[in-house]
Amino acid sequence: MTELSVSTTAAGHIPQVPLPEAPPKVTVRNLNFYYGEHHALKNINLTLGTNRVTAFIGPSGCGKSTLLRIFNRMYDLYPGQRAVGQLMLDQTNILDPKLDLNLLRARVGMVFQKPTPFPMTIYENIAFGIRLYEKISKSEMDDRVEKALRGGALWNEVKDKLNASGLSLSGGQQQRLCIARTVAVRPEVILFDEPCSALDPISTAKVEELIQELSEDYTIAIVTHNMQQAARVSDKTAFMYLGELIEFDDTNKIFTSPSDRRTQDYITGRFG
Amino acid sequence: MAVQGDVMEAAGPYDRAKALSAFKLGDLTFYWITRISAISVLLILGGIILSLIVGAWPAMKEYGFAFLWTQRWAPSADPPVLGALGPIYGTLITSIIAMLIAIPVGIGIAVFLTELCPQMLRRPIGIAIELLAGIPSIIYGMWGFFVLGPFLANTFQPFMIRIFEGVPVLGAIFAGPPSYLSLFNAALILAIMVLPFITAISVDVFKTVPPVLKEAAYGMGCTTWEVVRSVVIPYTRVGVIGGIMLALGRALGETMAVTFIIGNSFRISSSIFAPGTTISAAIASEFAESDGLHQSGLILLGLLLFVLTFFVLAGARLMLMRLEKKAGK
Repeated sequence: MTELSVSTTAAGHIPQVPLPEAPPKVTVRNLNFYYGEHHALKNINLTLGTNRVTAFIGPSGCGKSTLLRIFNRMYDLYPGQRAVGQLMLDQTNILDPKLDLNLLRARVGMVFQKPTPFPMTIYENIAFGIRLYEKISKSEMDDRVEKALRGGALWNEVKDKLNASGLSLSGGQQQRLCIARTVAVRPEVILFDEPCSALDPISTAKVEELIQELSEDYTIAIVTHNMQQAARVSDKTAFMYLGELIEFDDTNKIFTSPSDRRTQDYITGRFG
Repeated sequence: MAVQGDVMEAAGPYDRAKALSAFKLGDLTFYWITRISAISVLLILGGIILSLIVGAWPAMKEYGFAFLWTQRWAPSADPPVLGALGPIYGTLITSIIAMLIAIPVGIGIAVFLTELCPQMLRRPIGIAIELLAGIPSIIYGMWGFFVLGPFLANTFQPFMIRIFEGVPVLGAIFAGPPSYLSLFNAALILAIMVLPFITAISVDVFKTVPPVLKEAAYGMGCTTWEVVRSVVIPYTRVGVIGGIMLALGRALGETMAVTFIIGNSFRISSSIFAPGTTISAAIASEFAESDGLHQSGLILLGLLLFVLTFFVLAGARLMLMRLEKKAGK
């Protein structure tokens, strides 16, 4: 208990004064998830605060990505997967079987582990998502695309080659393109599923910076294996283990004085 | 022990050199076998073209380029009058109609199988489509002659003729009288025959789309249709077009089934319900009892089919290149 080695790795970046409690954007109550017979998530309870960054950490297979994929009902694409419990986005019940999934996914955007540019030009990658929901003129679309690319901190790098294929960009640029694309649809919540695990350190720093900026306007949930990253970008951190939510608290507290033994062991690298 | 060690040491380098030279020989043999195989393709192709040209030469000398736009086909006249316009027209029209039907249906089936189909239906439908590809073309021909032809002539054709009667252009395309043997029936049979090619290849390439790419599109709120149209098909377009070209190649050259149900008429009619002929059907039905200039004319038809197929494939490549340019590659 005395050697809190984590303080040397991350303490420098942790905001010393925790932010005030934010009104809940997403509320999770007694959530259970099943892959067929396998009980993957057990009685999860937590809230994502409005315009806060919530990080999910834990060893591989602990269910953090699974939890993220419930927030936009991505699991619905696959037969045999089901969620039981209560999951509210403001007043909307996300688990309602009659819910319009396209609308839900417009409100809850997602950025994946690997960059996923669509097989079209950079411009079209952004315009495509906007066109799904809005009919706007070419000049308005140009504005929106520029704004989204600026939002994704990519505008200066691609403004002269908007008609090049999205696949021609580097990995880090592709990931920022995907973030810009997600932002362009104007969601309320953005889910990041290990967004930097395929990126080099410089790209990672850019994406992290971007996440911080985005948190002014969006509610953000991020799954990461990189604990320094969780410490750097998040306001709250949830530690998950074997499908259970072990601890959920201010990031500052989780990384300096966790109340559960397993959290302590994980963040100090004793297992994982 | 010491002696043994010496022997091994002496034997060691010797053996290795021998083994290496054996490998070298094997490698060389392998290299030449593969190279000869590759070259033989070129030789065979060149040989076929050459023999076609030699066989077609008398007809080429006799009719020149007029062969291409002469409609009359009278091999027993004196001297014989031969023109390829009818078969060329029939080949193109039947293939175009067949592709117009088979492409949307084939890709539709592939989309259903990969994106929408419940797991338990996937295998039965997949197997049925593979079986469709395995049916010999003569069976399609007989089925077309005895079942599909009469059915179309009694129901579908009169219906279409009645609807479009008096309408300009369309009225001429769907003009009567109904016929068991017609361009349209042949095209329909062709569509059924090439469907499995388009479906099988589309299914295979659709499966190569990374799930995470589809999830990303769904994650933006796309419907299945939007995901297929904007992500799956653009991502796989090279493969899909390859499948379509394979199908088109088969449709252009298909002989047996078409010969059964097209009616073998060299007259060109504006109506797709009228009998017609294709290049391969004309060759198949007349080659056995032909000689002299007639036979040479049929060989020239064969050469034309060869050239036609070449241009179609070249056109497809060009289209693919332009598509890629448009996608910003």
